[in-house]
Amino acid sequence: MRKFLAVVKHEYRKVVLRWSFLIGTLLFPVLGAGFAFVPALIFSLKGEPTRIVIVDQAGKIGPRIRANLSPEKLAEKQAEAFKNQSFEPTVGPKDSADSLKGLSEGFVFVPFDTNGKTDEQIRSELNALAAEKEIDAYLLVPQQPDGKFEFLSRKAGDFIATGAIDDAVNDAVRAERLTAANISESTLRQINQKVEIDTKAIDEHGREKNSDALLAASFVIGLMIYISLTIYGQVILGAVVEEKETRIAEILFSSAKPFELMLGKLVGVGLAGLTQLGIWVTSLALLVGFLMLQTDIAPFLAGAPHITPLMVVYFLLFFLLGYFLFASIFALIGSMVTTVQEGGQFAFPPIMVMLIGFYFSFAVIRDPSSPLSFWVSIAPFWAPITMPVRILAETPPFWQIALSISVNVLAICGMVWLCARVYRVGMLMYGKRATLPEVWKWIRES
Amino acid sequence: MNEEEVTLRVDGITKSFGDFRAVDDLSFSVRAGRIFGFLGPNGAGKTTTIRMIVGITVPDSGSIELFGRRINGLTQDHIGYLPEERGLYKKTKIVDQLRYFAALKNLPQKEADRRIDRWLDRMQLSEWKNKKTTDLSKGMQQKVQFIATVLHDPDLLILDEPFSGLDPVNVEFMINVLSEFRQSSKTVIFSTHLMETAERLCHDILLVNKGRKVVAGSLREVKESFGRDRLAIRIDGGSQVLDDFPGIESVFEKADEKILNLRPDADPQELLQRLVTAGVRVTKFEYVEPTLNDIFIEQIGGAK
Repeated sequence: MRKFLAVVKHEYRKVVLRWSFLIGTLLFPVLGAGFAFVPALIFSLKGEPTRIVIVDQAGKIGPRIRANLSPEKLAEKQAEAFKNQSFEPTVGPKDSADSLKGLSEGFVFVPFDTNGKTDEQIRSELNALAAEKEIDAYLLVPQQPDGKFEFLSRKAGDFIATGAIDDAVNDAVRAERLTAANISESTLRQINQKVEIDTKAIDEHGREKNSDALLAASFVIGLMIYISLTIYGQVILGAVVEEKETRIAEILFSSAKPFELMLGKLVGVGLAGLTQLGIWVTSLALLVGFLMLQTDIAPFLAGAPHITPLMVVYFLLFFLLGYFLFASIFALIGSMVTTVQEGGQFAFPPIMVMLIGFYFSFAVIRDPSSPLSFWVSIAPFWAPITMPVRILAETPPFWQIALSISVNVLAICGMVWLCARVYRVGMLMYGKRATLPEVWKWIRES
Repeated sequence: MNEEEVTLRVDGITKSFGDFRAVDDLSFSVRAGRIFGFLGPNGAGKTTTIRMIVGITVPDSGSIELFGRRINGLTQDHIGYLPEERGLYKKTKIVDQLRYFAALKNLPQKEADRRIDRWLDRMQLSEWKNKKTTDLSKGMQQKVQFIATVLHDPDLLILDEPFSGLDPVNVEFMINVLSEFRQSSKTVIFSTHLMETAERLCHDILLVNKGRKVVAGSLREVKESFGRDRLAIRIDGGSQVLDDFPGIESVFEKADEKILNLRPDADPQELLQRLVTAGVRVTKFEYVEPTLNDIFIEQIGGAK
């Protein structure tokens, strides 16, 4: 027992006291926050306003376009788009207004006299202006109602400005056509009003839940478990191969039982993984708690899924189940191969199995109570990823969770039994990679 | 041989890998306070035998007793084993590795820390205590590995090629450390190809080949048993005389000398007479004790 604890301590320290652990622990939340906030931040950066000339010799549509490109109109448009987005955690209600304002200051109309000039002259003069960087773009409104609009820009890559022009032109032409058909602007707006659908799920207690936030949270949970399993599986693989490659295994095996050593390694690295997840969960809880105190954000968070402490316990428990299942496979692979590179190739199949489990979690999110969801959240290897997702999406009856845990604990016992056999022989086989028939022989003979 | 004196008793152990019999009915015992040379060519079954003694693998048949008890997990704590192929964790501090290896031998951490400092100081490695393996030279790594082997003050020390990769100064240093071990009546099993070192250090030897015992006994006994019928001669010409003399079993060339192994019934006196009669100039003609190297080559080379 003392030796076992020594192995656990050694393996734990070896993972936790590395820079990569510290960086990984800090990086994941930072990356997560980055994915959430950086796009919003970038898009909210004010570009230089686009200096534009609108050439409208008929003089009908031009003013409408100009009006559509006015700051107020743009802001209104953006707000509508925001409202229509199904789930948008990136922009809180407070800073959204700011960022929209930033975008809407995008156009400066440059006057241009077209009197007595031919189309060719207008074009060449405007092109010259653009070349001298006096203007950024110009829009040619056709003289016939059904003619083609032409938009020429020095900054054709600015898709926000281009999109705004596109929308403004379309709206203007549509309004013009409607006016021609004698439909007033206000009637038009009424007709165009979008119907709002507020998607909510009903939980087993008949309470309403915000299904958008739920979907996102379930996805994040699935992804977190999948990523942690992959990372810590690789850690185990690397640690086992190192001991084999450097022949430390020989010293270790002359001091303690291989089973003790293998299990100690799995537990030590597993505790390191749990430490990391614990830090993440705690910091997330603290962040949410902190935001709750900011009263103006609280209403936004009210839509967040209700995560109980029990769910967190389940979440960590299933992480551990998945960890022991896959880590023992990685330990087995590590004892079969001779180098880390070779191990990388053999790590592919178990990672594929995990990935399939991660994909199954989408099916679980879509319909948590379907037979498919039931079976994949019970099945060994997949349950550790899909069950937490299912618990969050729609907590299944307790017996199903208990069944899932039991099935996976059994699977772990089987895997550890199998691995210990291969590990004992494989760790002392130098020089060449073990073939599968050889591995099978070790399992049978020991 | 007194019963109490025996540290290790190996009795008829056999180990096969598939059809290959690596160790074949091997028996020997190692006496306390002696340095035991475990010699043999590559693939003779030395490492396989050692692995069974330290409990890494189990013999197919036969028994191994350490201090009168069959080996088990507890006896492992009394053995210090330095494998031939050895390594350290690349990115772990030296002190942490040593602590880990000590803990695996059930040594309490406080005691371990004290001994680590003492040994590092002795090996002149104190300033490397908090460095990683990759910062150390090959020789320093060897010394760290040796410390890991002796940290728990084992009663039986098993060293597989301990001097490979060490410079002469460090070899001398290690030999001193080994002598100290012996003086505190600990037992050392020492496996090597280097016959000169073995000859210098070992009290008892066991020569194995193809998994079987070839020669065993104290160095003195072994040498004497091979030395009776051995002549070293230095002559000019006269090879025809040697060819015609019926009592010669084999001839080794050694520098400008010839080493002759005579048949038990041969009379060296007669050979000398024949040489003189043939007018061959004889500058050396004497009985010699064989070196371990001679015995090794004769026994193993002949068997091959």
